[in-house]
Amino acid sequence: MERVFKELDRLLRGEHTATEDLRAGRIDIPVSRLAIAALMCGAVFGLCMGVYLAVADGPGGSNLQPISSALKIPLLFLTTLLVTFPSLYVFATLAGSRLDMLPCLSLLVAAVTVDMAVLASFGPVVFFFTLFTKSYAFIVLLNVVFFVVAGAVSLGFLSRAVKVLFSADTSNGSKRRARWVFRVWLLIYGVVGTQMGWVLRPFIGNPDLPFTWFRHHRESNVFGALADLLRDLSGSW
Amino acid sequence: MNDAWQRSRKLPRPLRLLDDLLRAREAFAPGRHSVPHGQLVLVVLLCGGLHGAVMGSYAGVEGALYAALKIPLLLLLSPLICLPSFRVVHAVLGLSDDLPAARRAVLAGQATLALSLASLSPVLVFVMLSTDHYHLVKLVNGALFVLASLAAQLTLVRHYRPRLAAERRHLVALAGWPAVYLFVALQLGYALRPFIGNPNFPTELLRDNWMGNVYLDLYWAVRGVTG
Repeated sequence: MERVFKELDRLLRGEHTATEDLRAGRIDIPVSRLAIAALMCGAVFGLCMGVYLAVADGPGGSNLQPISSALKIPLLFLTTLLVTFPSLYVFATLAGSRLDMLPCLSLLVAAVTVDMAVLASFGPVVFFFTLFTKSYAFIVLLNVVFFVVAGAVSLGFLSRAVKVLFSADTSNGSKRRARWVFRVWLLIYGVVGTQMGWVLRPFIGNPDLPFTWFRHHRESNVFGALADLLRDLSGSW
Repeated sequence: MNDAWQRSRKLPRPLRLLDDLLRAREAFAPGRHSVPHGQLVLVVLLCGGLHGAVMGSYAGVEGALYAALKIPLLLLLSPLICLPSFRVVHAVLGLSDDLPAARRAVLAGQATLALSLASLSPVLVFVMLSTDHYHLVKLVNGALFVLASLAAQLTLVRHYRPRLAAERRHLVALAGWPAVYLFVALQLGYALRPFIGNPNFPTELLRDNWMGNVYLDLYWAVRGVTG
């Protein structure tokens, strides 16, 4: 366990993604240890998210929500990675990435681990506010903000690595391709991740609704729900 | 040779071939005049068939089988129909000697398209499993085809770069090919539909009106809307 945290610390300090190594197409990332770290960090944040429903007054209050969220947060990120990895690898390679399959996967696992670590670091803040807040809307908003911040940090990590990976060839065409592939990465990962979150919800749990492990019905999708929300908003204006 | 190249040599042979195709090296390197027809066609058959099977599975096993046959057919027949005009254009431009290299570029582009589609298949599987909104599934699949076509374009350009450096007239062929190809592929796709069968209708290999013309149908549809 100590090694797992040591490797996580090294990752956050950027020791696993040194510029010289990336330029040579070489990535020495201990994937299995970082995957364990990501699972643990995700579970910690999920636990903190789920506490809201455990201490809520409403009819939906349940001690099972922290367990459910602790399982589902790591699942959300790892299944999204599993679904999107083949296309991410193909597009990166086509655009001239120097990484082959396993190092490419290692880099993406590292990015997910950074995301999870940042989220886990916000866990105590979420827990603290949960104890002092009854407003469901506030807790949802707080979690969304933390997800956005963690996602931005993780993207910064990945963006830096992608820039270095493509910078060996300094032509304008190469840089343009690097930007293009990064945008495609974001698009695919973002769309799949958003729908995956929708499928695996609830993570916090609405206290007015009974506890459930999954609330998803195949008739619904996140984009339809967003469109309905926008329609409702425009109707109310 | 860099480390990445040496490590990729250790991949199993099928994966190594796909990796070589994506990186345009070894048998798939630009500028070599012998075209590895067999390997490129095999990639189209297997990878295109995989994505086709995923698309068709929305309508059941029978639909998966039909689409697994039709997608490779679409990806192979479309360039085949366009190749004679491609040949004439090269002859008129005085570039006949470069035709084998151009043919290699086109086939490598089709193989890249099939491989990109196969790599995007998990995304389509996930969307199909998470929603039963038929039109959303069709929309996502359309977006995946656009992405894969852009990837194929990268391979085409990569193969054409050395030709273009030697002779600017290749620009005519490079710009003309996607236009002619798209024109033909859209019609062929229209004839071979359905790929993602509507689960509310019986599964069928081809629609009753498969001999229709997509462009005329579009024209009449627009006329119908505008009165």
